[in-house]
Amino acid sequence: MGATKADAADYGALRELFRHHIESFDHLVDRGLETMLDKIKPVQIFDPSSDKTLKIWFAKPEVYQPQKEGSSKTSHDALLPFECRQAKTSYAGKFVVHLYFQYDDKVAVHEKFNFGHLPIMLKSKLCYLNGADPQKLVSWKEESSEMGGYFILNGLERVVRLLILPKRNYPMSMVRNSFRDRREGYTDKAVVIRCVREDQSSVTVKLYYLQNGSARLGFWIQAREYLLPVGVVLKALIDTNDHEIYSSLTSCYSEKYGRGKGVVGNQLVSERAKIILDELRDLTLFTRRQCLQHIGEHFQPVMDGLENESFISVASAVLQDYIFVHLNNNYDKFNLLIFMVQKLFSLIDQTSSPDNPDSLQNQEVLLPGHLITIYLKDKLEDWLQKAKKLLQDELKNKAKNFDFSSLAHVKKVMDKNPGRQIGSAIENMLKTGRLVTQSGLDLQQRAGYTVQAERLNFLRFLSHFRAVHRGASFAGLRTTSVRKLLPESWGFLCPVHTPDGEPCGLLNHMTCTCRITSFFDSKGNFRDFVKIRTSILNVLIGIGMTPSLPKIVQAGPPDVLSVLLDGRVVGSIPSAEVEKAVSYLRRLKLSTTSGIPDDLEVGYVPLSFGGAYPGLYLFTNPSRFARPVRNISAPVDGSQNIELIGPFEQVFMEIRCPDGGDGGRRNEFPATHEEIHPTGMLSVVANLTPWSDHNQSPRNMYQCQMAKQTMAFSSQAIHFRADQKLYHLQTPQTPIVRTGAYTKYCIDEFPTGTNAIVAVLAYSGYDMEDAMILNKSSVERGMFHGQIYQTETIDLSEQSSKSDREQRMFRRSNTDKSAHPWIDSDGLPYVGQMIRPNEPYCSVYNEVTTTTKNHLRKGSESAIVDYVAVDTKTKKGLQKANIRFRHPRNPVIGDKFSSRHGQKGVCSQLWPDVDMPFSGITGMRPDLIINPHAFPSRMTIAMLLESIAAKVGSLDGEFVDATPFASSTKKANGEEKSESELLVDQIGAKLRKKGFNYHGVEVLYSGVYGTELTCEIFIGPVYYQRLRHMVSDKFQASSLHWNSRPGHTPAHQRKKTRWRHPIWGDGTRFHGCTRGGVFIAR
Amino acid sequence: MDPQPEPVSYICGDCGMENTLKPGDVIQCRECGYRILYKKRTRRIIQYEAR
Repeated sequence: MGATKADAADYGALRELFRHHIESFDHLVDRGLETMLDKIKPVQIFDPSSDKTLKIWFAKPEVYQPQKEGSSKTSHDALLPFECRQAKTSYAGKFVVHLYFQYDDKVAVHEKFNFGHLPIMLKSKLCYLNGADPQKLVSWKEESSEMGGYFILNGLERVVRLLILPKRNYPMSMVRNSFRDRREGYTDKAVVIRCVREDQSSVTVKLYYLQNGSARLGFWIQAREYLLPVGVVLKALIDTNDHEIYSSLTSCYSEKYGRGKGVVGNQLVSERAKIILDELRDLTLFTRRQCLQHIGEHFQPVMDGLENESFISVASAVLQDYIFVHLNNNYDKFNLLIFMVQKLFSLIDQTSSPDNPDSLQNQEVLLPGHLITIYLKDKLEDWLQKAKKLLQDELKNKAKNFDFSSLAHVKKVMDKNPGRQIGSAIENMLKTGRLVTQSGLDLQQRAGYTVQAERLNFLRFLSHFRAVHRGASFAGLRTTSVRKLLPESWGFLCPVHTPDGEPCGLLNHMTCTCRITSFFDSKGNFRDFVKIRTSILNVLIGIGMTPSLPKIVQAGPPDVLSVLLDGRVVGSIPSAEVEKAVSYLRRLKLSTTSGIPDDLEVGYVPLSFGGAYPGLYLFTNPSRFARPVRNISAPVDGSQNIELIGPFEQVFMEIRCPDGGDGGRRNEFPATHEEIHPTGMLSVVANLTPWSDHNQSPRNMYQCQMAKQTMAFSSQAIHFRADQKLYHLQTPQTPIVRTGAYTKYCIDEFPTGTNAIVAVLAYSGYDMEDAMILNKSSVERGMFHGQIYQTETIDLSEQSSKSDREQRMFRRSNTDKSAHPWIDSDGLPYVGQMIRPNEPYCSVYNEVTTTTKNHLRKGSESAIVDYVAVDTKTKKGLQKANIRFRHPRNPVIGDKFSSRHGQKGVCSQLWPDVDMPFSGITGMRPDLIINPHAFPSRMTIAMLLESIAAKVGSLDGEFVDATPFASSTKKANGEEKSESELLVDQIGAKLRKKGFNYHGVEVLYSGVYGTELTCEIFIGPVYYQRLRHMVSDKFQASSLHWNSRPGHTPAHQRKKTRWRHPIWGDGTRFHGCTRGGVFIAR
Repeated sequence: MDPQPEPVSYICGDCGMENTLKPGDVIQCRECGYRILYKKRTRRIIQYEAR
């Protein structure tokens, strides 16, 4: 225990897994809110009668730590998370924003406005648990390993799901049939860029190719797509002339190269450029001013608040707010648009290939803090617009007692539009996972943004934070291409840990080494992106890049490559120099003093024949995937050589696996990087499967599923929780055979199973077809014992608000003594009391009707009152009670168990100990018997290895390390150099040394006849999990029903429960293993 | 009505102090003022199934 305690002391590795959630929320409260408020445009209200203009804008947000309701202003009563869980309230802090009012050019006056309560993420900077050590956490009734990252809303823990989004600020060439239907003359090809502002809100801009050779720029304003000829936008952006546009567009074509490597342009480009310019002439737009006029004229009706502005200022607002919003400078926008047109033309000419939007290379992730920021921005903008409308209505109605110049009056009108709803809107979004918005926020889906963080067991809980979802819109798609496991996701997404069935391939899990870049560097300091970009620019110019700004016309590939830094064309670099520049940048990444961030993504797309469009794409932005690899090309001077790489650059990098092989690259492409450890490609859950490299791969996938539905030691603070339903394993054990990840992530805090002595033999016929026999005495000694805790919350104050104001209280009837055996004098049950079906467990007295109503237990099984907690929000008497029932769930026939190798089975008999076979030497009887047929077709060799290794381990009194791919890793110190022999031989030799059979078999005697079994039997300890599907929860008292044949669910329940018993099916249909004679290898 | 119902014992969720409350009393620990109280286990004889 001593060793694990030291490791567990700070849970650093565990916290790392949750960091992206917490950091994104920290950014929200630190800076995110402020930048977001800056980006909200002020509103102006003009009063024609007094000729005054009032300007209102937001500034200075303040979010406070959660506080108890009713606590006075002087005493700050901290509201702790566990109190919220028990009292079923929300963990939220007060949210205040300063509103600035300015009449004409007078001094602005500011007022605090209360915007309700903002839910606070646990362990974020505003949470009391932030920075608390394990002891402090335990004293606050949390797990000692509490990692936060979720919200508590009405006592429920909810996580924001990570969603895949298209990579920001990167122009992607796409081919989609739906582009053809935009309008007449459109083709299926376009270049799409998702531009993200500093406040994380985004606008997607599409550049469509037309059949006539021209292009249209499409962007969405208020749920409608607007299309502009690309020439108009080019000309409107900067003061330029036709010649300059023409030469910029055709710069990527040079006659001398023909169709060589890396050539992206051809002579058609100049034809198309002419068409683009001809279009302008047809519209009689010759100057920038005319183009702006043209845009302004068309967009004035849709741009709010600019009704009285000139066309030119409307147009510049359109360009600023909707076109390439990640750039502030119009020259940058112009350059990017030129780049996109060139990329589009190269896509048409098939000199470059389309980018795959389904590959991780072109994706990033939506983080909780960013989602809240953009939703909050939308809500605050709405609120401000509504306030403006209220004020305008008041002016229009010429209300007598309204004085526009009085701030008090203005505020009074604005109070009609309560600010509190902002806080509750955020809370509702997190509660339901649903966005209620007009604009859509440039997101693909409206619902499913949050899920409940179930604590069924620790692995399931943890997986919620590591899961990455592709998006709800893909779930209904018939094509399977989005679900494919692509090589681009290597090292970032776990290939093993994805559910089979409906969400297969859409719901992925990040590998244990994968992290998400954030606004904070590794030391927790806020990143100044402006500074970072300047230093990168300086470095680039230093190594031979020609900056784009003074001179606009650039040459193109294959001569020079464009350099894009966060979606801005910063210059071009000679293609002969670029490789040197890339390795120099990578070296700077490693150094801490260079000012280059350690997670800079250096996406160098080399010249190719019709491959991806070449260029040097640099990304510094947050919410990218990143993972550590070892840079072996950097000089070894003792400094660190761990580099963080992203999925975009990984595709073009040479990364060696440390298995001694060269990965087929021979000597032509020497490896520049090396994987740190092969287990880095697996998720945490997949990493827990011992020797998973010896299993057939689908078995490892099944294990990842089953590990998450195991009944385990779910929480150490179980007494301070009031979850609706909580599964608990009474006697868990730590596995004898375990992987490195098990200790690294302190899974011992929440063990998930039991080391059972498993004999592989056909005995009594009750172990056929994945059934298993449990030793009855082992079960009676406590093996796999467990219970379900179920909490009923009775809140009298809540219910009474619905009907008329009736006064109700907990009290038992004194006249009718029939309920007295169960109910105490306070109206609540006795703690420890068993309550059978239809017996009362609490009684409520209604003062108006003077009647007493008993709450009766429903269902078909008796439960024990585990605890009764009373608490109150008001100073009144007893109004709210949490009554927790305990349902014993000791193993019975029909319960489901599994080993850690995707070998699930159902208990078919609790076999008496005396009738179990016993070992001739040790006299041991197995706890569990499984059938030998479980192995040949499933090929779970690791389970056999686990059995013999655990035998050795228990004989030695030591845990056995079962980290997969141990043979492919370099031994750090050459201690185990000659151990190149097979793993089985190592274990076998040790077994033989202890006097056991080399192969792990033993002579067994029949427990019934006392005769020696003809075969030697394979027997040893295997870590078994108890799965949560238990018959006691499923059969619902139908044994007394008239049509209750075994496995025949009554008709009225059949529709309700989707669950089917693994063996019985749902009775009416045959399914799975019951299909007699049909061989299914599951 | 019948005589006053007998008081019931609760244990404070924070300090562990035993509180005896009558119906209508404020739910609050007398010692530390904490608002979540747990009911004490009954002293009645309880029989469980030992299987």
